Amino acid sequence: MDAKNEYLLLIRGKAWWNRLPPEELQKTMDHVKAWFERLTESGQLNVAQPLARKGAIVSGKTGRVIADGPFAEAKEVIGGYALLQVEGLDEAIAIAKSCPTLRFDMEIEVRPVAEECPMTKHARQIRSEEQLATV
Amino acid sequence: MLLFVGMDWHKGLSPEEMQKVSEQWMAWFKRLTEQGKAVAGQPLERGGKAVSGKDGRVVADGPFAESKEAIGGYFLLDVATMDEAVAIAQQCPGLAYGAKVEVRAVRAECPLASEAETQLAEATA
Repeated sequence: MDAKNEYLLLIRGKAWWNRLPPEELQKTMDHVKAWFERLTESGQLNVAQPLARKGAIVSGKTGRVIADGPFAEAKEVIGGYALLQVEGLDEAIAIAKSCPTLRFDMEIEVRPVAEECPMTKHARQIRSEEQLATV
Repeated sequence: MLLFVGMDWHKGLSPEEMQKVSEQWMAWFKRLTEQGKAVAGQPLERGGKAVSGKDGRVVADGPFAESKEAIGGYFLLDVATMDEAVAIAQQCPGLAYGAKVEVRAVRAECPLASEAETQLAEATA
């Protein structure tokens, strides 16, 4: 797969489906299912998965667990991801805009997949700048 | 899923140090892949957009949160337990420099479907 055309959607929001009335729930499920199926059939969607709303955060030199448990109500919690394969950012944004769950106050982050680690690239840039400076 | 949090923690490292951490990171991913524990992993570009609002009418520029909370990449792991995923996260070469790793289990089932089942169970109880 060519990383140049891959985009990651990170879907953030609260657990809006909790206590949703049954008719709304069913309708939304149908919309979301149809949305995924359409994108998969067109080859625009490689994979999409929901994430459990609890987890752990690891930090620091010793890699200690600084948070552990449900991230339930925070709006920034990533509830799922989708990996798209499309021509460019505009197309990825258009797909994000068509997501049926946006109306539940979700935010969809659209991120280009990098071809190489940005840190490696940054290191290389600094080095070439240094070389130019010594010329 | 391991989500690598922070995109600026490498600032202040020399190019040689960045290169070293980068190599350690790639070796780490390679090892996990060979063990069958990592099935995917990708770095993300710094930019992008945030779409929100009805019909996605709001399109904001990134970075979205402060850079130190921006997601820089991910690994998708195939391991039996959360503990194992956390143990793998603790091996991340960026941790020593300020990177954080968020560890989240992939759900087997869409949360909408689970909610529907819960409601059905309650209704028929």
